[in-house]
Amino acid sequence: MSAPAPDSRLQAPRFKIFRWRAIGPLLVLLVIVAVLWWLFADTIVRHESQQVGTQMLGARVEIERLHLDIPHGKVLVYGLTIASPHEAFKNLLQADELVADLDVVPLTEKKLIINRIAANGLRFGTPRETDGRVAAKSGEGIAGRVLAETREWASQFQVPVLQLATGKITIDSLDPRRLATIPAAEALSARADSSARAWKAAFDTLRLGPTLDSASATLEQLRHARATDLSTINAARQAIDRLKRARGRVTTLENGVKTGVADLQAGLAGLDSTRRRDYAFARSLLKLPSLDAPEVGAALFAPGAIKPFEQVLYYTQLARRYMPPGLLPRATTGPSRVRRAGEDVRFPKERALPGFLLRSAELSFLLQPASAQPQRYAGRLTGLTSDPALYGRPTALVASGSQLAAGAMLNHVRDIPVDTAGATVGGIRLSAFAVPGVPVRLDPGAATTQLGFNLNGDTIHARFVIRSGNVRWTRDSGFANSAIGDLIWRAVSGIPNLDVEARLSGALHHPDLAVRSNLDQAIAARLKAVLGEQVAAAEKQMRARVDALVNDRVGPVRARVTDVQNQAQAQVAQQRARLNELQKQLEQRLRDLTRIRLP
Amino acid sequence: MFALIKLMQSLFGALHSEGTPGQLAAGIVLGSFLGLTPLVNIHNAVIFAALVVLNVSFAGGMLGWALFIPFGFLLDPVFDWIGHTLLFTPSLTPFFTSLYNMPIVPLTNFNNTVVLGSLVFAGVLAVPLYVATRLGVTRYRATIGARVRQSRFYRAVTASKVYNVYKMFRP
Repeated sequence: MSAPAPDSRLQAPRFKIFRWRAIGPLLVLLVIVAVLWWLFADTIVRHESQQVGTQMLGARVEIERLHLDIPHGKVLVYGLTIASPHEAFKNLLQADELVADLDVVPLTEKKLIINRIAANGLRFGTPRETDGRVAAKSGEGIAGRVLAETREWASQFQVPVLQLATGKITIDSLDPRRLATIPAAEALSARADSSARAWKAAFDTLRLGPTLDSASATLEQLRHARATDLSTINAARQAIDRLKRARGRVTTLENGVKTGVADLQAGLAGLDSTRRRDYAFARSLLKLPSLDAPEVGAALFAPGAIKPFEQVLYYTQLARRYMPPGLLPRATTGPSRVRRAGEDVRFPKERALPGFLLRSAELSFLLQPASAQPQRYAGRLTGLTSDPALYGRPTALVASGSQLAAGAMLNHVRDIPVDTAGATVGGIRLSAFAVPGVPVRLDPGAATTQLGFNLNGDTIHARFVIRSGNVRWTRDSGFANSAIGDLIWRAVSGIPNLDVEARLSGALHHPDLAVRSNLDQAIAARLKAVLGEQVAAAEKQMRARVDALVNDRVGPVRARVTDVQNQAQAQVAQQRARLNELQKQLEQRLRDLTRIRLP
Repeated sequence: MFALIKLMQSLFGALHSEGTPGQLAAGIVLGSFLGLTPLVNIHNAVIFAALVVLNVSFAGGMLGWALFIPFGFLLDPVFDWIGHTLLFTPSLTPFFTSLYNMPIVPLTNFNNTVVLGSLVFAGVLAVPLYVATRLGVTRYRATIGARVRQSRFYRAVTASKVYNVYKMFRP
């Protein structure tokens, strides 16, 4: 019997690619993950929503409860609170309930498409117990950068506060090195010396001495010559020609001297204008209160008026970052995690859904919720999207009610974004505030505020108005013994209404701010009446200081210039007179010799 | 300390497992993906599933994961740069645009610079890492492997309960 052939499978066990027995534990793991998701999906989504919202807005976003109903495409949010990115203990808004209808299928493409949101019980500007600002403190992310940019933008409008605390006018020390007249005088002195040297050199090159000596000798010969002494007569004529040429050179030199003298005189006049500039510079060192009405208005209300513009600009710029025009890839800050966040790059595609779209939101909100009769309003937001070019329509917000009319449009569909907003809110009780630099507190009472804002590309036009017909004034105790305080108090305390208007226009990076109010004229007139004499005296004192510093330098220069010019002119005149005299004598003698005497 | 012991258990367990050097190297390569890329991403679920289901060294996978986590943190700036460069390369924009607008794919977070950069880096590293690890394990087993197996230290490590858990997934 032959031995059986060995089974090749026993000799080399077949390599198995899959570990089938691990399928079981893997499935168990998947089931555990599914159960955990089912149990904690609401918590996870709530946590993520809070985190993303906080990161995007730069202020804490808090959600009390969230329920995710994926099969029905619904998300219910209860107790939404969004803190203000600008004010520490204030909320931007609170909402009792938000019900969102989602498109579920786009979620597989990581796209959030919300067909409709119904928001109930919205409240704005409510107080909060903790500081909800995030971007303002960390300065990180897009919100942090935008906040820093808008703050820097607003800082350019720092208007000096009225110096009325004591009514005193102070003068800062005047540094002689910062006066322009002194170096100008030194330069003029150097020019005068230079001119004097140049003119002396020019006189030397005229070489008038030999010409005059030769002419004098010829004249002497001519005095003893007869009419027939033709050679002497010719020599005299040649001498006259030389004298004429010499006088021409003197005339040329004289013209040069005249030009130089005029230049030095202009230098002296320039010293006077430079001194006037020094007066202006020294005046800027005076801490004078503004006496013109527009400046008073800016000093009083510009610090407060710029805040609404800054806040609206913040949200507008944020919208421009999150809703950029065009279809190019755009990067935003990645999700926060232990590892580096990196950047998330979006790749919008034509005729595809945007990454985020809120088609429509119905808003129901209360104004003045703490009052006895809170006002209920309704609003509608449409077309809020991360890719306006894909959606093809601008984002629009409309809200209205008995004392409210508001609208906003963010048009980022085309290459140059245009953002417009306008709102008129009546019956709003504004809190009392101290008017900067003026010893009074103002309680505007129930006021009407208007805001108009248009940012077209990089050109801004904005207007903010506060009107109140029943203001109340309170005297600031810190100015109890101030005469100025008395005057200002008397000027404004009788004014029953407030009308403030701030306008902003021009290029976004450096627009013009104009602020006016009905208090400007009243305060400016009082200031002029009281402080006018003090201001004049301070200005006189300041001019005396400048003169004391400048006169020591300018006086010698002025004398030097006069001396140089007199010397040059006298020298020219003297030489010209000698030439003329010699020529005259030569010509007279020639006439005597060549006259025909009749018997 | 526990992590260190666990790492050593993984190391010795993997080196002296019945698996071939290739299985161990493949496990370490898959584990390197887990360590180099940000963990909470769909691609890592796939990697983990592959580590469990494929007949590679699970211990090697855990070892690779543990070894490459510090490198992941350390190289994050490099990953960010790689990802940024790739995502903003104009010639690749149509490709990424297609991926971004497909179902499921965007959930992988491929459009994040760190995720893409680290994934590409791990992918490029995979082949040399596989070859080097396989060679290293072969050499180890042929030289000092038997002596280490006889040592008291090795016996102490392999006697722990964690080792028993590991044995469930040994190749």
